[in-house]
Amino acid sequence: MGFGFDEIHGPISGPPETDSNSFTALLELPPPQAVELLIKEDFPAKPMPPPIFPSNIALIDRASKFSIYASPDNSPDSTAILPASSSMKLDLVKQEPLESDSHPNSSSPAVSNQSSKSGKRKEREKKVKESNKKSKKVAANEASELSGEKLPYVHVRARRGQATDSHSLAERARREKINARMKLLQELVPGCNKISGTAMVLDEIINHVQALQRQVEFLSMRLAAVNPRIDFNLDAVFAAESGSSIDNSYLGMFDPSIWPEGQINGSRQQLYQQPLHFDGLHQPSWGREDDTSNFISPEDSLLSYDSPPNSASLQSSKLKMEL
Amino acid sequence: MCNSTMLKQEFLKKWIKGLHIYNNLNKCVTISDRKKAIKLSADVAIASTRKAATHWSKALMDDVVSRDGNNIILVQQILGGGQNAEKNNSGLITCSNRILRRSHNNIMACRKARRRVVPRCVKSSSIARKLVKNKTRVLKSLVPGGQKMDGHRLIKETLDYIVSLRVQVDVMRRLACAAERFHP
Repeated sequence: MGFGFDEIHGPISGPPETDSNSFTALLELPPPQAVELLIKEDFPAKPMPPPIFPSNIALIDRASKFSIYASPDNSPDSTAILPASSSMKLDLVKQEPLESDSHPNSSSPAVSNQSSKSGKRKEREKKVKESNKKSKKVAANEASELSGEKLPYVHVRARRGQATDSHSLAERARREKINARMKLLQELVPGCNKISGTAMVLDEIINHVQALQRQVEFLSMRLAAVNPRIDFNLDAVFAAESGSSIDNSYLGMFDPSIWPEGQINGSRQQLYQQPLHFDGLHQPSWGREDDTSNFISPEDSLLSYDSPPNSASLQSSKLKMEL
Repeated sequence: MCNSTMLKQEFLKKWIKGLHIYNNLNKCVTISDRKKAIKLSADVAIASTRKAATHWSKALMDDVVSRDGNNIILVQQILGGGQNAEKNNSGLITCSNRILRRSHNNIMACRKARRRVVPRCVKSSSIARKLVKNKTRVLKSLVPGGQKMDGHRLIKETLDYIVSLRVQVDVMRRLACAAERFHP
């Protein structure tokens, strides 16, 4: 690592008068070094005003970064913006004394610089790969260990140009969690992947939920119309078979080649008299058709409902539906 | 995946159990009665597969109980064994009363918590936010128990609810198709 130790020692040697000074010193550092500064390491328990300079380079970097924290009278809210290259998203570091999670890259614990200031701080831990200096946002949200005063706080990294007070950081953490979940939803609901924008995705989700609920209503109406008494003898079969045997039959049928999925779908669609909007359900996003086809195997033993060639055998099926 | 298969099995078993209960009660004469019974037992079955781990399933059960006290308690008793089973027979009445009270409280809280959003400016960001808010409101009305959830929890519940709805629809569809084959 080509660290300019002079630059680093510059801010350290002088007493940390104002926060801006240290950060302007940081600003002069090239981005990779600044990134190194942001690697967190374990801090010892004792808060010590003058920074200790261990031999470890990374620790020196962090000492420089946290030299501003040496004074216990730090105002909690002064921040500075690190230079961010286009390839990296360097984030704002909240200027408060902090403990940090032990970074996997860090070698030894040690450094000093722990102020005794307590309070809720937000910082997000970054997984900085030294080979690749991109910074990634890691949502490690738990406070860490090490100092004797274990203060629970949330690690949230503020991005460049954004406010860093606790409220907006909390809000941002919440928003990111929501966005992560929205992504999951987008994958679940068919056709949402190409849509961008929360409102449109929500629209699709709403449509999907409404469609599913309508289908439930419709299907229950169908079932009610099928026979005068709601009595299906499937449960007798289930009761007869032990639970384990059902599982075995399921496991035995997990080979998708046994059940021609296309044929199953085709036969099902032939049954539909009305134009039903079941297309969404046949999509592989949900339709792991192999397990759905496997699911019907015990029913098949009763209904022989597996493929068109077997439809003729439905009449001779074992199950007698109460009519 | 094994998981969804087992889920479907569980749902089917519980649902058939519920249908049998209704059959034994012998009070479903008209087609709409039957349809209600079928749908109800399906809803209770799919909610009980969640075993009260999610908010929407609890809310769905509350809803079912509050709609009609007597029969539904029986159905719930048998289907939702995991949820109410801890209470012994003597506690069942209190349990169901508690459910009724809870559902009532939920309804009351919902009525108080509703607010009206009045748009004030025409900035695009505010318009976007208003849109999202409206859609969130609609989604809250769709997901059972959604009125009392914030955005983050709502999305998590919606995820779970969609998965369960799909299971329900899938199983019901198969049963309907199979039943129609035998009784065209």
